[in-house]
Amino acid sequence: MKILEVIHVVNQMVADGVIERYAIGGAVGATFYLEPVSTLDVDIFIELHATPGSVLLTLDPIFSYLRDRGCTMQGEHILISGWPVQFIPPPTPLAAEALANATEADVNGLSARVLTPEYLAAIALQTGRAKDKARLLQFMEVHALDRTKFEELVECHRLVDQWREFQRQFVL
Amino acid sequence: MKHNFDFERIWESKRALRERLTTAPIIEKLRMLDALHERAAAIRGARFREATAVQEKPGGYGDRKDKTS
Repeated sequence: MKILEVIHVVNQMVADGVIERYAIGGAVGATFYLEPVSTLDVDIFIELHATPGSVLLTLDPIFSYLRDRGCTMQGEHILISGWPVQFIPPPTPLAAEALANATEADVNGLSARVLTPEYLAAIALQTGRAKDKARLLQFMEVHALDRTKFEELVECHRLVDQWREFQRQFVL
Repeated sequence: MKHNFDFERIWESKRALRERLTTAPIIEKLRMLDALHERAAAIRGARFREATAVQEKPGGYGDRKDKTS
């Protein structure tokens, strides 16, 4: 299965010291808790540190490692086993916290680090595109969230207005 | 032939299917994700080919090459 190959490669990157830790987010991450929905790419949050002697944060070591293993670039993505993968340094404090609190899942003996449902839902609320709202609705419908934890995140990351608006829009 | 649609039953069966998909083992869901991705990529590829392919423009209806006859 190709997506398993992606997870295997990313685990290998951790083992080889190319990245420190990662967490799968986006639609692939949500699949661990919801029904699968079509997606074109895999979002992988990573912790990025400056290389010794440099103050710049760069994805170059990741791309160079993967290129050496036959992967090719496709725009902002790198193709791993046919899947366009995007490595994302956390763009917000919420995403950074989500990465730090990600959970370990077992996929047929393969370990995968995945964002928790509450963080995936809070990131969806923060991002706010139509597909993110649909994902948040799915989380609500199947009761995949610990509402207390989720509402703590909403408050802590100043998403109260977005949450009220979402509830108003979808009559929750 | 008369069809009776019992929408309650239709919604219930859809709800049950979604619940089955949600609670399916992760390995099964990832397999579905792979299949969905391949299909989406194929559709995207086809649309790209359509948009960039050189297309022969058909002549206007009633066009004739030989205007003298």
